[in-house]
Amino acid sequence: MIEFKNVNKWFGKLHVLNNINLKIPKGEVLVICGPSGSGKSTLIRCINRLEKIQKGEIIVNNTPVHDKLSNLTKLRAQIGFVFQQFHLYPHMTVLQNVMLAPVNVKQLDKKEAEKIAREKLEQVGLTEKSGAHPAQLSGGQQQRVAIARGLAMSPEIMLFDEPTSALDPEMIGEVLDVMVNLVSEGMTMCVVTHEMGFAKKVAHRVLFMDDGKIVETGTPVDFFDNPKTDRAAEFISKILTH
Amino acid sequence: MLVDFNFRIIFEYLPLFLNGLKSTFLISIISIALALVTGIIACACRISDIKTLRYPAIAYIEIIRSTPLLVQIYFLYFGLPTLGLRVPEIQTGIIALMLNSGAYIAEIIRAGITSVDQGQLEAGTASGLNYFQRMRFIILPQALGVTIPPLLGQNIVLVKDSALLSLISVMELTRCGQTMTSERFMPAEAFFTVAFFYMCIYFCLKALADWSQRKLIFREAY
Amino acid sequence: MMGFYFSRLVEIYPFFLKGLWMTSKIAFISLVTCTLLGFILGIFRSSNNIILKRIVGVYVAFVRGTPFVVQIFIVFFILPEWGIQLDAFPAALLAMAIMGSAFICEIVAGGIDSISRGQWEAAASSGLTLIQQLRLVIVPQAMKVILPPLVGQYVLLIKDTSVVSVIGVMELTRVGWVTVVRIPEGLMVFSLVGALYFSISYPLILLSNYLERKMAVQ
Repeated sequence: MIEFKNVNKWFGKLHVLNNINLKIPKGEVLVICGPSGSGKSTLIRCINRLEKIQKGEIIVNNTPVHDKLSNLTKLRAQIGFVFQQFHLYPHMTVLQNVMLAPVNVKQLDKKEAEKIAREKLEQVGLTEKSGAHPAQLSGGQQQRVAIARGLAMSPEIMLFDEPTSALDPEMIGEVLDVMVNLVSEGMTMCVVTHEMGFAKKVAHRVLFMDDGKIVETGTPVDFFDNPKTDRAAEFISKILTH
Repeated sequence: MLVDFNFRIIFEYLPLFLNGLKSTFLISIISIALALVTGIIACACRISDIKTLRYPAIAYIEIIRSTPLLVQIYFLYFGLPTLGLRVPEIQTGIIALMLNSGAYIAEIIRAGITSVDQGQLEAGTASGLNYFQRMRFIILPQALGVTIPPLLGQNIVLVKDSALLSLISVMELTRCGQTMTSERFMPAEAFFTVAFFYMCIYFCLKALADWSQRKLIFREAY
Repeated sequence: MMGFYFSRLVEIYPFFLKGLWMTSKIAFISLVTCTLLGFILGIFRSSNNIILKRIVGVYVAFVRGTPFVVQIFIVFFILPEWGIQLDAFPAALLAMAIMGSAFICEIVAGGIDSISRGQWEAAASSGLTLIQQLRLVIVPQAMKVILPPLVGQYVLLIKDTSVVSVIGVMELTRVGWVTVVRIPEGLMVFSLVGALYFSISYPLILLSNYLERKMAVQ
């Protein structure tokens, strides 16, 4: 479904993605972790071309992402992206936020789009907030709306870039619950996160990155209890001790 | 289009243009200096508590800001003689620029002063400083940082405004362009040269303004 | 003496209103063209395309670095040399359009630049095209930042219409200039001219101040 072939990216002289080779099959839930600056956010942002790569190929559903001739709009319609800072549109209501892409990208009828939007808002537990503006919502609620916004396009893949890192601790749970429910529906997910509890519970595979390279991969059980590399072991111990 | 551009003619008229450039410089410097004084006085009246000072100041500023500079120039140029005053054009022009920029400078300074935290004024009053002392030691030094970049901006505006003086026969840079056009029928050479000189002045003043903006932003950070 | 001239002025009043009407026409057409052009240029100026940014930048620098009266002379006297014959009125409109759009371009670019990158990314990630991103997400938000200085710029543009009098357009300032030759009461004539400009500009200035206060509260 998603394939990275010899992917390399530089920010000036900094080699942020170093020979990434990766295959993510349909239905897999992949968690990517690592210290900051390891390139994990960059990796996920390359999947829907928020970032460009200089070498290699990324292929999503048989479409090369970084090819000039590819239909980027069509590709992005299949991929939902959830940001650390939510980035809801402040000048629209919650319902309008979720409806925007279905109406304008998929050219859906407004009534149809509204029906889908309300479904997704119900799925994330925020039906009663559909008329509110983002500024009136808490961080956790805003992020759940952002997830609904991503789901409204019925994507095949959902990408999450540190979805709970900007939230107060008591709101992390409500967002993770929504994400766990998505897993049980068979969604292909790629999640950059520090929430190891989530990884242990639902991830099929964990990827550990450092310095732009994939250092280790494995199932959550293997990775957390028996890390193969020293760096991974060091990272895990640091995370779990606080 | 520009193939027939006659550079030789420009060199022939260069002394005239440089003279005009010199005039523009002088007019601008004198006008901005006078405008600064006018602006400070007008601002002081504008923010004063004495109604007989404040209302005329407000009227002055709002009238200047709501009417075109050209109309103000013509008002003085055609109006002063009717009062029996024979003022040479160049001085009429300088007065017009002084009054015009003075109003805008007054507002710039006022914005700078109100940007200083009012609590400081209270502290100064509490320690017994009078109005002038509060202004001199507390408000003005801090207001300066906020005020200088827009003042330099107004300087740029004034240099461009001085071009309108050509319409009342003042021999400055733009008038040189008109003179060359009427003598040689070569408006392209004339006005592109004039434009070139103005752009040189603009880039110098803009560099100064940008530099001051950078230097003063650090001061505001505390 | 003053009474005699005052009655002359009263008979000349319709002439002034015609001039005011011409000024209003020029101002209105210019505001529309400058806003349209200015928005397009502003979008280019804030785009990621360096070439586009630079070209618009050069254009804006030229307009901001030269006096408007010089630009009017260039449009009116130089275009005929290049085969474009323009009457005074269209030349005036063209010069206003060139000048005004440059200033509005900077205001619009400033507004668009103030929108966080995350908004662009969120919109792009949903599959919206660049134009959709601008139309639905970015520009509506940017309008809060753009509106107060835009109205302020409108006041400046109305005042700048007075400069087109130099190429003979019979707008308000030129009416005054022509009148003062026949009725040498400079103070009275140009007080009237000033008062008429004041009546159009001052309400807009009040609107601009109001908008500035309202946007600051948000």
